[in-house]
Amino acid sequence: MSKVKGTVDQFTLEIVGDSLIAIGEEMFHALARTSMSPIIYEVLDFASGLTDAKGQLLTQGNGVTGFIGLLSSMVREVIEKYGQPGALQPGDIVIINDPYGGGGSHLSDVGMVMPIFYEEEVVAFSANKAHWTEVGGKDPGSWTTDSTEVFQEGIQYPCIKLFERGRVNQALVELTAANVRFPEQSLGDMWAQVAGLRTGDRRFRELCEKYGRDTVLAAVEHLLNHGEQLALNELKKLPKGTFEAQDFIDDDGIGHGPFNVQVKVEITDDEFICDFRGSHPQVPGPVNCSYSALVSSVRTLFLAITNSSQDVNDGMFRPLKVLADKGSIFSAERPAAVSTYWETMTYGADLIWKALAPVLPHRLSAGHLLSVCGVVLAGTHPDSGEPFLVVEPTTGGWGAGADLDGANAQFCIGDGETYNVPIEVAETRYGILVQEYSLHTDGAGAGKNRGGCGTIRSYTALSDGQTITATFGRHKFRPWGFSGGQDGSRNEFEILKTSGEVCGPFGKYARFPLKMGDTVRMTTATGGGYGNPLERPADKVAKDVRNGYVSVTQAKEEYGVLIAPKTFALLGSTQARQQLATDRGMQDANR
Amino acid sequence: MRVAVDIGGTFTDLFYLDDQNQIGMAKCDTTPPNYDEGVIDVISRTRIPGELIDTFIHGTTVIINALTERKGVKTGLITTKGFRDVLEIARGNRPDLFNVRYQKPEPFVPRYLRLEVSERLNYKGEVLVALAEEEVRAAVAQLQAEAVQAIAVAFLHAYTNPVHEMLALQIIKEVWPEVEVTASHQVTNEWREYERTSTAVLNAYVKPIAASYIDRLDNHLRNIRVRGNKYIMQSNSGTTTFAQAKETPINMLESGPVAGVFGSVVLGKMLKEQNIIAFDIGGTTAKCSLIDRGEVKVTTDYHIERNERSAGYPVKVPVVDIVEIGNGGGSIAWIDDAGLLKVGPQSAGALPGPVAYGKGGEDPTTTDANLVAGRLDPGNFENKVDMEAVRAAIQKRIAQPLHVSVDEAALGIIRIANSNMLNALKLVSVRKGYDPTEFVLVAFGGGGPMHAMALAKELGVRKVVIPVGASVFAAWGMLMTDLRHDYIQTYIRRVHGINLGEVNEAWKRLEDQALNQFREGGFSAEQVVHVRYADMRYVGQEHTVKVPMASGRIDELGMGAMVDSFHELHEKYYTFKLSESATEIVNLHLTSFGLVPKPELPKLETVGDNAERCLKETRPVLFEGEGWVDTKVYFRDRLNPESVISGPAIVEEPSSSMILYPGQVLTVDAYGNLIATTGV
Repeated sequence: MSKVKGTVDQFTLEIVGDSLIAIGEEMFHALARTSMSPIIYEVLDFASGLTDAKGQLLTQGNGVTGFIGLLSSMVREVIEKYGQPGALQPGDIVIINDPYGGGGSHLSDVGMVMPIFYEEEVVAFSANKAHWTEVGGKDPGSWTTDSTEVFQEGIQYPCIKLFERGRVNQALVELTAANVRFPEQSLGDMWAQVAGLRTGDRRFRELCEKYGRDTVLAAVEHLLNHGEQLALNELKKLPKGTFEAQDFIDDDGIGHGPFNVQVKVEITDDEFICDFRGSHPQVPGPVNCSYSALVSSVRTLFLAITNSSQDVNDGMFRPLKVLADKGSIFSAERPAAVSTYWETMTYGADLIWKALAPVLPHRLSAGHLLSVCGVVLAGTHPDSGEPFLVVEPTTGGWGAGADLDGANAQFCIGDGETYNVPIEVAETRYGILVQEYSLHTDGAGAGKNRGGCGTIRSYTALSDGQTITATFGRHKFRPWGFSGGQDGSRNEFEILKTSGEVCGPFGKYARFPLKMGDTVRMTTATGGGYGNPLERPADKVAKDVRNGYVSVTQAKEEYGVLIAPKTFALLGSTQARQQLATDRGMQDANR
Repeated sequence: MRVAVDIGGTFTDLFYLDDQNQIGMAKCDTTPPNYDEGVIDVISRTRIPGELIDTFIHGTTVIINALTERKGVKTGLITTKGFRDVLEIARGNRPDLFNVRYQKPEPFVPRYLRLEVSERLNYKGEVLVALAEEEVRAAVAQLQAEAVQAIAVAFLHAYTNPVHEMLALQIIKEVWPEVEVTASHQVTNEWREYERTSTAVLNAYVKPIAASYIDRLDNHLRNIRVRGNKYIMQSNSGTTTFAQAKETPINMLESGPVAGVFGSVVLGKMLKEQNIIAFDIGGTTAKCSLIDRGEVKVTTDYHIERNERSAGYPVKVPVVDIVEIGNGGGSIAWIDDAGLLKVGPQSAGALPGPVAYGKGGEDPTTTDANLVAGRLDPGNFENKVDMEAVRAAIQKRIAQPLHVSVDEAALGIIRIANSNMLNALKLVSVRKGYDPTEFVLVAFGGGGPMHAMALAKELGVRKVVIPVGASVFAAWGMLMTDLRHDYIQTYIRRVHGINLGEVNEAWKRLEDQALNQFREGGFSAEQVVHVRYADMRYVGQEHTVKVPMASGRIDELGMGAMVDSFHELHEKYYTFKLSESATEIVNLHLTSFGLVPKPELPKLETVGDNAERCLKETRPVLFEGEGWVDTKVYFRDRLNPESVISGPAIVEEPSSSMILYPGQVLTVDAYGNLIATTGV
């Protein structure tokens, strides 16, 4: 009878690896559970995870994609600053939101890092980063579309200790409370992050107790190598060569622009290099993106292309290189304004997407709304007389792929497990009446596969003195179609005043004043299409017309399909469609 | 006599309790698509005459199957002007974060069948725009022309004032009496228009299916002269009448799985255990649910087809809070692209099933690994197991690519499966702030007894209970149920300065509604018990905490007690409380039970420990960290109460086996349950 040995085998390493991933999830839920601010526990605009002693990411729980490059570089920033022996002690927690250094994005995203000690040695780091609703600055909610330097955007934490040997730095807490508009919320978030870090610390040490330090560290290596191997396997399946894309960012919110951005992607057997050099220098308005945030967006697309699993670690990113000019819009330097950095960050992902979609049509779709379409609406509730603040993203259309139509009404790539606010909840909490929440069926993004619809959402102010700040990117440069598919439509918002006057449409506006009865109408983009519209099966076009996604006229002009307006019966096809069918040697143009 | 029949994916199980307090069970194959035939089959196997059945309780997968297989009817929706796309926009979330080709779940009603009518209420329930009745008529005519078979009606803010929905229902009944209709307020009175609309639509979509199924079953039962009370198990762990089940079939989606959880509560009461983790391993999934102080946790945050890849569809009705993962006896072991061993979520199902079933399965499963490890006896299968084929499958698919022996591979599969299930168990316990050492694990389903002892020890649970008839325990749970209806009313009020008269009025309305419903089912007021909860939160928060409330008239003191419990519970679940902050009520939740008399369960005769006389054999079994160990195997059904067995040991019964590890000890209790200590 064979004897199964009791030493460390690969299954043990695997089980410890699974435990690490489970710890990451537990840290994530601990933070969501204890947070005080809706943007954390509802929008899940935060991430938490573990790194090894060198700052390599082992596991990360995410509610949105935007943090995927931030945790490990933030930990490495801490290692660099506190590298000398004894500089970090058990119980220390470092707080950091510097946009330009490791792990930086904008001041609203506050990071925390805790060294995990086992047998008097740092064995790992517990880290998280969360979007606080308030970090002070010139405008409520801290982000705005017209700041010109970082000093207008809130309080800065330059990688300093919030806890020393388990004791809180009370001066720092009081300083924070004095600099933000809703101290109870911001400090609540701070404690929630501390609780999340300590959960990671405790669980990691328990794992060392149970399996022994050496087994855990071996499992860490195993996990990272496995991640790298998965990425390399996927890399092998990709086309090799250099692929380029160029695009334009609308403006910076204060009158400059458009700005050229570009990428050159080089794929080899073991490397995936994204070179953004040559993109526009940093700009006066707040759309500048930090290098760390750029890395997040590149990683997001890299995962979209290579990874079918959601368990992510730094091993997977070993083949990845990201190049950008210092001081450019993709790698901004102090004191550039960065508060709406995501308008540029999402371009980092979109450029790679656009460069590779034609060669990876089964893995990538056409361009989508791209912008978070963020809205801040402030005012007084007419019934309670209390102030309210809406901070929310907006859903829009996604692009079509080689074998699917684009999705309707989804949040952009920078978001993720993000939920819209129900109308019934919004009308109860905020002083508004929602007039419409519908699909934006403009029929843009025509193609063999169609772009998904954007949405139309209208708010009527129910009290005087409300203001709206919004940033809707892709207002001037529309979502791209590919392989013959047409471009989508743009994002925009306009104000319909009771007087009948219409203001806008706008892409960005800070603090537009609303009186009772004024309506804000927000319309988001339809995604790009894939393939020649004349090749879309006629029965699908008929179904689209019946459902109102495409008009009878568009069916004829774009798709070459003739449809009866009332019965939606197929009447035939245009000459262009027949011609194409003949050219392709098809028997039946209606197929 | 009480008879419970539970239809599962593979088997239809029956459990009965006769008037002499004797229990019995039976099993037969599930008979899709005519599931009612399996019910009659299994009853006939017991040879119980229909006349003797005074209570018949039924759990069924018919409704969930109709939804997941899209076998419902063509359904139309009538909704508020400006909002017909709410059903399609849904919530905009993308659980599969890094997937740029995310495919949103397709709405059950396509856009051209979603019609708008002029009407509008504000959040206070006040009418801003009156319902345009002629537009409703026109919409119905249009849907009739499109030949829909069911119509859902969902208007904004109907949860707070259903006046327009009721009027629309009346018009539809008038214009087209034959069509099945569901208005949102009939299935849920919580806010959030997408979730409420989705619930109404899904109910309408399956209503004709439910009606024909229940009518057919009822006829069959009449034919075999069952004239007693007939009930259907609902997802809230209570039952309802056949008539009500036809109106709101959406309440029976989880009717089978929750019965096992409810059974655990009843069993816990008999054993004087209040804190329980119910754990059920079937062929394709493992399910667990935590019972805190004797109460099943019920939530309305339920979705079908929701997972880490898809947002699924919300169903806002009360469902027992169960965590389910794709890990069961039939879960397939495989190796990923980079050489890691994985188990599940793909399952070999009932067909072809594990390699051991000999029905053509080639992928090794957890069951196959348990056979190789000696934990299952090939002689205990219905078919003759070809062990060579089982070993060969593990050799080819797992051992060879990983360069390990077949034994090592089999043990690896078991360990990885356990690791997956352990994470699910942690999810309902430690991660929600509960300490597993304070809980008892009740393990059932075919695979529960096999994995329970290893998992309980790992989790830190001290005591494990394997109930009698573990593999048909859900049916046992159904035997013990009462009728139950939950009424959840969104009612947003700050506690400070609340109008007590109005709150009492609101409770009275809910209780009257409950009494009326029970009266229709033939219950008197004395048989009905009400339990009140308030869903509460701090002002400005989103998530709520369910707080028990005293019954009767509420005064200042009662409100104070409720707020105190809220702070305390908030601290337990979310680690902090804000004693100074304002609190508000979001929902009033009334649970009403229609109590039915139930006989006591029989105790077995105590004639002393007879374990040694129940020995089946001694065979080598592979244990983690120990290697092959000669292990005693016992026949479960011959064990007397008070028998004591020490691990390593295996206790076998016809469709399941319990594995006891070295150092663990079990005792047979007076009812025949196996009570084991884990050695924690």
